[in-house]
Formats: sequence, structure tokens, C-alpha cells
Amino acid sequence: MFNSQKNVFWQALLLTIFIFSIGILLGFSLENWRTSQISSLYQQSELELLDIKIQSEIYLSYDIDCNTAISENINFADRIYNEAKVLQKYEDSNRLTDSITLQHKKYDLLRTQFWLNSIKIKEKCNASYQNIVYLYDYNNPSLEIKAKQQVFSNLLGEIKYDKKDEIMLIPIAGDNNLSSVNLLMEKYNIKQENLPIVLIDEKIKIYDLETKEQIEKFLQ
Amino acid sequence: MNSLSIIYLSYMFIALYMLFFFLILFVRNRKELLNYPVAEKDYSYSISVLTPAYNEEDSIEDTIKAALSSEYPIKEMIVIDDGSKDKTAEIVKRLMKQYSNLKLLPKENSGKADSLNQGIKIAKGELIAVVDSDSYPEKDSIKKMVGFFNDLKVGAVTCSVLVKHRNTFLEKLQVMEYAIIAWTRKLLGYIDGIWATPGPLALYRKNVLLEVGGFDRNNITEDIEITWHIISRGYKIEMCLPARVYSIAPKKLSYFIKQRIRWDIGGLQCINKYKSLFLKRGALGLFIIPFFAISIFLGLVGVGVFFYLAIRNLISSFFYTNYTLEAGTSFLALEDLAITPTILNFFGIVLFILGLLFTIFSLMSMKEGQFKGFRNVFNLIFYSIVYLTIYPLILVIAIGKMIKYKIQHKKIGWGTK
Repeated sequence: MFNSQKNVFWQALLLTIFIFSIGILLGFSLENWRTSQISSLYQQSELELLDIKIQSEIYLSYDIDCNTAISENINFADRIYNEAKVLQKYEDSNRLTDSITLQHKKYDLLRTQFWLNSIKIKEKCNASYQNIVYLYDYNNPSLEIKAKQQVFSNLLGEIKYDKKDEIMLIPIAGDNNLSSVNLLMEKYNIKQENLPIVLIDEKIKIYDLETKEQIEKFLQ
Repeated sequence: MNSLSIIYLSYMFIALYMLFFFLILFVRNRKELLNYPVAEKDYSYSISVLTPAYNEEDSIEDTIKAALSSEYPIKEMIVIDDGSKDKTAEIVKRLMKQYSNLKLLPKENSGKADSLNQGIKIAKGELIAVVDSDSYPEKDSIKKMVGFFNDLKVGAVTCSVLVKHRNTFLEKLQVMEYAIIAWTRKLLGYIDGIWATPGPLALYRKNVLLEVGGFDRNNITEDIEITWHIISRGYKIEMCLPARVYSIAPKKLSYFIKQRIRWDIGGLQCINKYKSLFLKRGALGLFIIPFFAISIFLGLVGVGVFFYLAIRNLISSFFYTNYTLEAGTSFLALEDLAITPTILNFFGIVLFILGLLFTIFSLMSMKEGQFKGFRNVFNLIFYSIVYLTIYPLILVIAIGKMIKYKIQHKKIGWGTK
């Protein structure tokens, strides 16, 4: 067919496969590194939650001042809220692997546990903070739902920034097929097709976007 | 991995492959890129220059003077006046008093290919040099090209087509484009992959032109078609990189787009005509046609993905804006500015840098660098990012026009004048 230089086709192919494979390997390494970062953050959070839970048990069993429990709870809420943002960023930037999705599920369970613990502490210690649970559509949101969730997320972020320790902001994926989350959703009469939803103090449900002022009114 | 990521990675793989392909060709042949064989015997071939002209009063005089000042003796130069309505014929007649080997062939307007065919009929030279009426070959260009015909298998020889005027932004972008095309065409020559002998200056064996029946009147890029036809008959095409011809590139965007649409339609016509050779017989069937077909496929898929994403983002932005206004919250949070790069971003950056280096390197090899100052750097980046992405869009327009003409049974014209 061609003259003596036809082997250029194969040489270029081999070189491309070699360089491309290195790129893909580096990509996998980067994404695995991100997953391990999340994993290590998760382990720390898991330990901390366990500690908080034990503390709660102690406060619930013995009649002692629970200011420390409230403060620990608030700190932990802030921590997992920030970790949720990191997790979201890494998830959005992972293209080759989906190992981080599993981490997301684990975090959802952790946040659910924390939510339950938060309810308990609030009842036992008569704490003044308010629980804001944000249940969102994680797996297949339409473009419209995605945009709505993005605005909900910004809005709640602004409220959290203003209210600081007065609120516990707990974002949880409502469609990750986790029995505990499903049970709680059932308990509060929340259906998956209605996601996203903001649940304030396990009583007030906000389905549609409201202004910051209106949500703050609900908080009062 | 989602399907979009797979598409992106596939495109990146192909782009990387093409870069390495040209890089290897360059490394292997770098010492002989500028070489050209000397003709076995001085002035062994007689040459007829054919210049078809239609309303070329602004450029024809300089074209004739440039062609006839060739260091290689020109037996005759025939200007085929394709029914011009301006002073083209008058100018040629005036110059005929000055140049004894200049001839005028007046005829009714019938297109470039037919004009060339009529010129071939009366041409006496063994080699036919086609010179467009708005192109200016350097004095030594033909002399440098003739030696390639020592090889009897060579049917045609092309050269570096460069931009004559370099004043407007569009012209400067085309300076880069033409130089890169010339450089890559030379490299493709090493695998018998030259797919065009552009009109500004190309040399053909007359007997080969007669053997293939001349230029195809039904193809609007007769220079691509004739090349494919010659290759299909088993002849070789060579590229003489140091031989240069300067051509007038479109100054206005509308002319530029019309010209590119014409090129694309011509390419599609060629694929259609030679589709039976796909993956068969020699470089045409095994490289050129698949190369064209894959380029078109990739271009169309690329445009499809581009529009899919653009529409998707538009819809998302619409919803996002509506909801943001409804909630009275800020459009952009500080955290949105922090970007976490994906592996595709890294690949994209690496490819962009490699592509840029390839462009700079080819421009430097062609001595068309002119990288002094911020403006040229801007031109280079604009060329790499914006200019090249226009190609697939023009392809879509060309396909649309072709279908439209087919339905309306209209003949496709040049559209540049």
C-alpha cells in the first residue's frame, strides 16, 4: 500500500496507547486519592459521631449539665456540613471511577445517625438550636430539579452563615435506597418524588423555594 | 464512566494519535523536508502554464508577471478567460505585446474545471502548471518542483501555498493555517497521503491529465478531485515544501465561510464519487478516503455534542436564574469559584499545550513565525481555540447546503464572487 513509512501508523498508535494509558492511570490515581481523602475524613467523622453518641447516652442516663453535648453536636454538624461540600466537589470532578458514590452513601448514613442523635439531645437538653434537614434528589435529578437544588443549597448555606450555631444543617440524599433514611422519610410523610425538601425541626416541610426571609420566619 | 466522558476521552485519544503521527513523520524525515530532486536534465520538460480567470482585473497582471518571471523557462502561458465581464481580457491582450509566450483563450463562462480542460487541449507543454489568477508563484518555485518528475510514477507535484496579504486579523489567522497545511501536507507525502494539489500552483504531467480525462466539471473543488483521480490510477503525488506560491486569502468573514463551505462540499463530492474505493487499493482507499470520512464523522459528532451541551446548559441556566430570582439568593457563591479539576481538564490542558507547540513548531519550520509581540501570541491562541472549532460548524452548513441543492436539483457554484 504505502511506501516504506507505513509503520508510522503503528508506531503512533503504540505511542498514543502508552501515553494515554499513563494519563488514564494518573487519572485513576488522582480519583482514588480523592476517594481516600474522603474515606479518611469519614473515618474521623465516624469516630467523632460515636463519641458524641456515647456522650448523649451518658447525658440521657445521668442528670448532668449538657451544654458540652450541645456544643459538641453543633461543632460536629458544622464539620459534616463542610465535608459534604468537599464530597460534592470531588464527586463532580470524578470521571473515571464511581468509588466515591459509596462514600456518599456512608456519609448519608452518618448524617442520619447524627440527625437522630440531634433530636435526642434537643429533647433531653432542651437545646435552642433548630434542625434543618435538607433531603435532596441525588441519583437522577432532572435539569430543573438540579437547578432548584443548587439554589436551595445556596439559600441554606446563606442561612447557615447568618445563623451559625442556631441551626444544624444536615443534608441527606433521599433516594439512595437506604432503609433508615427511607423509614425516616416515611415517618415524616416525605415521598421521593417530592424531593428536594427542607424539614425544619421535624415539623415544617418546605417543598418550594422560598426567600431567605420567609425561611427565617419559619425558624422563628 | 458516563457516555460524555467516553466521547471526550475518544476525541482526546484521536487528537493525541494525530499529534504523534505527525511528530514521528517529522522526526524521521526532518533532514529532507526541504530537499527536492534536481531535474535530470536542465529544462528537460516543456511547461505550459494554465490560468483560468473570471473577472480578475485586479490581480491577473501580477499573476502573469509572477508566473512568467519563473527561473524555469515557460513554453507558454495560456490565460483562459472564462467569460469575464470586466477588463481581464484587455489586460491580458496588453501584456501579450510584452510577453511573446502569453496567450489568451476567450470562451463563454463554464466554470474553472472546464476552462482548464479547454486549456489542456491546446497546451503544448509536457507538464501543465496550473496557476490561479489571484496567485503569485516565486521565481524558483517551478524550477524546484520539476525534479520530482524524474520519477515516472509521479503524476503531480504541489507546493507550499502561503497567504499574500497579511493585514487583517482574518488574513493573519489564515497565514498560520496555510503554513500548517503546507507543513502537514509535506509530512503526509511520506505516506503517499497528499490529498490535494491546490489551484494556486500545481504541476501535472499532461499525459496523466489526459489519461484521467481532465478536471471534473461537476466537482467544485476540482483540485482535490483531480488529485484523487490521479492517485486512483496508481500515480504518486509529491509535495515540494521549499517551492512557494502566494495566494490572496479571503479578507471578509463571509467570503471565508463561503470558501470553506465550497471546500467541504467538494470534499464530500469526492467521497461520494470515490466511495467504492473505501478501504481498497492503495493510499486513496486505505488512507485518504477513511481520513476524510473519519474527520467528517468526528466533526459532526463534535458539533452534536457541542449543541447538546449548549442547549442543556441554556436550559439549566434558565431554571437556575428563575429559581435564584424566586429565592432572592446570590447567583454565585464564593465556593463556586473554587474549581476542582477533572482528569479530562488535565488531558485537555496537555493536548492544548501539545497542539500549540505543534502549531508554533510548524510555523517556525515554514518560517512563518512572526511571534514578536502580544498580538501574535493572541492570534496564535485565538487560532488554536476559536478558529479551529469553526471548522465542524462550517461542515454542518456545507452538508445542509449540499442536501438543499440536491433536493432542488441545483448546481453548486463557487459562491466566492
